[in-house]
Amino acid sequence: MDNPAPPTTPRGLGRRARAAIRLMTSNKQSLVGLVIVLGFLAIAFVMEVASLLNVQITPYPANPLPNQVSATLLGPSWAHPFGTDNIGRDVFSRVLVATPYDFMIGFVVVGSAVLVGSMLGGFAGLRGGLLDEILMRVTDVFFALPVLLIAMVIGAILGGGIGNMSVALMITWWPPYARLARGESLKVAHQNYIEASRLSGQRPRHILFRHILPNISGTMLVYATLDIGTVILVYSGLTYLGLGNKPPAPDWGQMVAAYNSWLLSDPWLALIPGLIISIGVIGFSLLGDGIKETLGIR
Amino acid sequence: MNLLRFLLRRAGFAVFVLFVVLTITFVLSHLIPGNVIYAWLGREAAQYPAVAAAYSAKYHLNDPIYVQYIYYIVGMLQGNLGVSPSRGFIPVSSVIAQTLPLTLQIVLLAFVICVVIGLVLGVLAARYQNTPVDSAIRVFYLASYSSPPYFVGVLILVVTSLYLRILPTGGAYDPLVVSPSPSITGFPIFDSLVQGNFTFFENASVHVILPALTLALVTFGVITRVARSSLLDVMKTNFIRTARSKGLKEGSVFYGHALPNAAISLITISSLVMTFLLTGSVFVEYLFSYPGLGHYAFTALQGSDYPGIMATVFVFAAIIIITNLVADVLYAYADPEIRLG
Repeated sequence: MDNPAPPTTPRGLGRRARAAIRLMTSNKQSLVGLVIVLGFLAIAFVMEVASLLNVQITPYPANPLPNQVSATLLGPSWAHPFGTDNIGRDVFSRVLVATPYDFMIGFVVVGSAVLVGSMLGGFAGLRGGLLDEILMRVTDVFFALPVLLIAMVIGAILGGGIGNMSVALMITWWPPYARLARGESLKVAHQNYIEASRLSGQRPRHILFRHILPNISGTMLVYATLDIGTVILVYSGLTYLGLGNKPPAPDWGQMVAAYNSWLLSDPWLALIPGLIISIGVIGFSLLGDGIKETLGIR
Repeated sequence: MNLLRFLLRRAGFAVFVLFVVLTITFVLSHLIPGNVIYAWLGREAAQYPAVAAAYSAKYHLNDPIYVQYIYYIVGMLQGNLGVSPSRGFIPVSSVIAQTLPLTLQIVLLAFVICVVIGLVLGVLAARYQNTPVDSAIRVFYLASYSSPPYFVGVLILVVTSLYLRILPTGGAYDPLVVSPSPSITGFPIFDSLVQGNFTFFENASVHVILPALTLALVTFGVITRVARSSLLDVMKTNFIRTARSKGLKEGSVFYGHALPNAAISLITISSLVMTFLLTGSVFVEYLFSYPGLGHYAFTALQGSDYPGIMATVFVFAAIIIITNLVADVLYAYADPEIRLG
């Protein structure tokens, strides 16, 4: 496979970071994706810091005190860019406050999947044998399971909430990465430099970390980027079903569901949080697809 | 021989995955907080300990867990899925018998729309690669599979009910206007057509358009993407070079040689498409008040109707697994390496 990929063993953090930036900005598609993703990340970061410091930086509180009276169901205006909802809460502020939840779960779930999957898959491909066989069967089963439905059952029984839902998704998300890592490590496992490294007495762990994982990092990066969007989409679905944060804490999907009742009189209420989810997911799709194109991965 | 062995292996695997799903739901059902019997009978049962004890005995809840597991699997295999608290304690199996055909009606229609839109756009994008046509199609399909089904549904609902009042936005038919024919297959649209009840047929058909369209719009992108990339891959192969060097016109190389080859890769994603459509139906049916299995799953979830949730998840998983199996069979048939061994 001809990979116009950056050097596989770049040394130094600076060089690696420069290579990553070049990778994400050299393609118009990934550049647009990067801008969207960075925008959301910046908002998520600022919101998280603000909530940790207990400072309100949104124009209005996401959950005003019960005795605060404000105008309900106002249309979008300069004072309320996304309008106000049925109990007078500023929708713009609520969308901002919800950003960290929806984004963090994407990174947490995919991050754990990459970690667990690449370790298991990498070792399985390298070692073969029973571990490999078991891993592949487990992967097959997980491929056939509908993730959203399994998370739904777990949520229904153990209760919703961002913690339970992250765990539910983490349990079901790693197998594709294991399959990917296994496939890639099988591909390189019999190349001369791996054989040489093995013959020179290197331990499998060393081979995995020095040779195999750096080689599959490009493919992993592409899948992970695309996947963060998928996790956000699935999680927003779960919150729509009422399995996310407990109200009144805002969640994008839950906002769409809650505002359904005002669909005909005040359509922006449900449309805006929905649109925000789409834009966030499109950002990751563009970024992932763009990197994929630049790296020449299929 | 090779083909038969392949099919048997895949069928065996499908059965195994179904067992895994059953086991997951069984394990989860034992994690329900508090005494399970109250989850099934309703909280009011706590006032009648004798009744609760009697039901605990009846449902083998006092037996060791492996005995319960055997009862559970046997009961499931016999179609005994328990009773549904959110539907007035009627058997879950009869709720499913009522709602599943309705869901299949929209899912099958959505599948057809998906394949048509997905394939046409994928072929166009590959034919006019790196032109504005390709870019426009890419934007469209990216937006399609990046959007949650309930967002697209809301959008369609708003547009149709505010600006385009042609299509109905709720229900499976208008009960005040038409009445269904007696059920033969359980599929109201099919039954009414067979029995010549055309007014009902028309009414019910109009009601499935918007839910099916919503599902198709959030799913077709998967097909477009795979169709485009597999066509472009095939176009790079030697056999296309041979066809070109024979002097065939570019159009006939593309549609006559590349397209049938690329179509094989579409078989493998059909189960993915089915997964998208079925999970999407949970949101779309709720949004359009369409009384199918997805709607039942949604209301069961809201009402902590555990038997209902588990049964719907099991039925959905079973359909997805069966689709997987059918895709494998078709793939084996389409791929000469497997078919001819």
